[in-house]
Amino acid sequence: MARVGVFVCFCGANIADYVDVPQVVEEAKRIRDVRFAIDYKYMCSDPGQQQIRDAIAQHRLTSIVVAACSPRMHEKTFRKALSDAGMNPYLLEVANIREHSSWVHQKDKKAATEKACDLIRMAVAKSIANEQLHEISVPVTKRALVIGGGIAGIQAALDIADARIPVVLVEKSPSIGGKMAQLDETFPTLDCSQCILTPKMVDVASHPYIELIPYAEVLELQGFVGNYKVKIKKKASYVNFKTCTGCGACWQKCPVKVPNEYNMGIDKRKAIYTPFPQAVPNKPVIDAEHCTMLLKGKCGICAKVCLPGAIDYKMEDEIIEREIGAVVVATGYDMWDPKPYEEYGVGRFKDIITSLEFERMVSANGPTNGLPLRPSDGKVPKNVVFIKCIGSRDEAKGIEYCSKICCMYTTKHTILLHHKVHDSHAYVFYMDIRAAGKGYEEFVKKAQVDTGATYLRGRVSKIYKKGDKLMVRGEDAQIGQVVEVEADLVVLATAVIAPKDNPDLARLLGISYDKYGYLSEAHPKLRPVETAKAGIFLAGCTQAPKDIPETVAQASACAAKVCGLFAGDTMKKDPMVSTINNEYCSGCQNCVTVCPYGAIVTDEVPMGHGSKELRTVAKINEGVCQGCGSCVAICRSMAINLAGFTDPQLINEIVSI
Amino acid sequence: MIILGTQGPNTFLPEVNARSGANILECYQCGKCVSTCPVSQYMDFPPREIMQMVKLGLKNETMMANSTWFCLTCSACSGRCPREIEIPAVMEAIRHIAIEENYINDSTKVKEIRTFHKIFLDMIKRYGRNYELRMMAEFNIRTRNLFKDMHLAPKALLKGKIPLGVKSVKSAKAIQRMYKLAEKLEKKHQ
Repeated sequence: MARVGVFVCFCGANIADYVDVPQVVEEAKRIRDVRFAIDYKYMCSDPGQQQIRDAIAQHRLTSIVVAACSPRMHEKTFRKALSDAGMNPYLLEVANIREHSSWVHQKDKKAATEKACDLIRMAVAKSIANEQLHEISVPVTKRALVIGGGIAGIQAALDIADARIPVVLVEKSPSIGGKMAQLDETFPTLDCSQCILTPKMVDVASHPYIELIPYAEVLELQGFVGNYKVKIKKKASYVNFKTCTGCGACWQKCPVKVPNEYNMGIDKRKAIYTPFPQAVPNKPVIDAEHCTMLLKGKCGICAKVCLPGAIDYKMEDEIIEREIGAVVVATGYDMWDPKPYEEYGVGRFKDIITSLEFERMVSANGPTNGLPLRPSDGKVPKNVVFIKCIGSRDEAKGIEYCSKICCMYTTKHTILLHHKVHDSHAYVFYMDIRAAGKGYEEFVKKAQVDTGATYLRGRVSKIYKKGDKLMVRGEDAQIGQVVEVEADLVVLATAVIAPKDNPDLARLLGISYDKYGYLSEAHPKLRPVETAKAGIFLAGCTQAPKDIPETVAQASACAAKVCGLFAGDTMKKDPMVSTINNEYCSGCQNCVTVCPYGAIVTDEVPMGHGSKELRTVAKINEGVCQGCGSCVAICRSMAINLAGFTDPQLINEIVSI
Repeated sequence: MIILGTQGPNTFLPEVNARSGANILECYQCGKCVSTCPVSQYMDFPPREIMQMVKLGLKNETMMANSTWFCLTCSACSGRCPREIEIPAVMEAIRHIAIEENYINDSTKVKEIRTFHKIFLDMIKRYGRNYELRMMAEFNIRTRNLFKDMHLAPKALLKGKIPLGVKSVKSAKAIQRMYKLAEKLEKKHQ
């Protein structure tokens, strides 16, 4: 005989103001099988939990119903109270009388009270059919995969590896470093980007716990948290990294010139190249799209000059497989292409460049030896106009959101311009100055007061050519007048956008992404580095635009999460998973196709007892199953049951009202 | 429309900064000065806009603005300025440049204000202090509006706000010497 205890919470005024709690308790006492019912102001507080623990002992209760807030809020709390009282925690049911009743029926107390009673009736009925369940233990492979070798990936990999957990770091391009390697100085301290980044890059390459796989892509991810299998395609580099000494003879002699991506196409690189002198690994790769030897079978100069004989034109893509337990995704960001800004003459006027192009030019290791130069005539500009929010906050042409970093990097650019060209003058067209961050507002003040950059509040309406100058027209809302600035160079602060491959990667990993292509976190505030899929974490701009300090913080947070996951030899998991009754399973495999987590595989079992003939049945991998119930709904032979939501439980709920 | 970047370096901003001792680049255009200023609603360009105009080097526009003449130098703005800019000093500096370089805003209001300033200085020169009755009379004569504010006279007289006679201060001579010295210095400066 079931003995149910009902505990109704006031939730301060949240429930009590709109639901007549004492009346609900009286109603609950009248339900069959309810042996004890009581209310309390805050059931989740320690005295509230104590009432539950005491009642379990005093009234020998067999299941517990807590009528309070959403189970997402406090189910774990109350389960723990049951365990503390020596009861199986899964004998708990939560009746959500806050979100489902008091909050949504604030205008009708009577109806809200009735609904609360109904919800409790259902929970009581369900709880009677509750069974004792036990947490599932899943083994863990203690190795992490980090996708992307920018500052986010580097930081995450180093932090995980420092905890003596092996890391596989996969980078798409020939060198790690990412966008940060392209930057000259960083805001707001103006410390040199290379100086703070390259030591970390070297650490990655030399770390005994990091396996660096550059020039590679993730092809496939299978398995579940703690037990993933990843397939990585290592693109053919046509250079044997083991024998190559990185001497550089090959790229010095290579006759093919290609626009240099690292320098935003301002200068040329060769078809065999290292992206930049500080690259890690510092070994060249052959760009198969441009190498004449690979395209036409002629040339072969690099092989001739290579003393160690490291060039191998016959090299093929290689598939590498690794077993891993967790994934950190750190694929970074792209810069928005400002082509839609036709009124600015983007594409027509050579002296309009993007911020990253400006950044490369003022970089000490850039194509112009650190001097900004006009692309049209190579002269040093005097008046430089910076235009912010190019693509950002522009629903018509770009994206809705604020890219977050442009205010600060443009501020930095005005200061760098002043450092490089002393008699220059910077004009900044802006809509707002968003300088929220440690030392950021002070940095903007430095640009405005110390280096005298002129800030004009307004979006530029058009740019036209006058002689060899560009006339930039916009409003200065500060004085309510239209201004035109005669500029030698115009720099567009283009928006940060999600990498275009993100949706494909998200599908491959089985995680979600938003309408812009950024990968989605599990909760925007409280779970910002986790994804909805257990064991997959996000670091850096792949989740949303952010600056370097935030990116590094998030990467370290990912590392902490991975270390936490790997802390024990096994992982605990809720027992709410599906089970298959082989007697009923017809082997139709509808459940296999419908399972969103790939948790169902097929198995062979004997036709009958002692029979040698085999038949196919479905088999559920408890580690992967998230308990969504899709398989239960699709199963025609009703062979699947979801623990905690079995047919008797649900039927009890329905017939109780 | 305002054209920027064609005139070479902005010389107006450093000039105003040097004369006023303020750094106008500090201004971040919050507008607290405008809402503080008791006379900003009568100005064609309120203090915040004057700051921006100086920043952009718009000398002519700044000089012709009536704001600098309307400014009472009450210092309410600078008292509340979050960047602690001495705005009345800036206004003063602009007035000085306007007088020296002969920028004349010939609106009646500005003319009257300039006349008022002149008469006030004359009073001080003569008596070492203000002589209200004579000041008012002279102002009304010079601005050719004899009966201006006359209805206020009886009340003001009764309250003793307008003494009928004036006593020069003891050191009136010294003050006159100061005036002479200042005039001499001004000539030398030019």
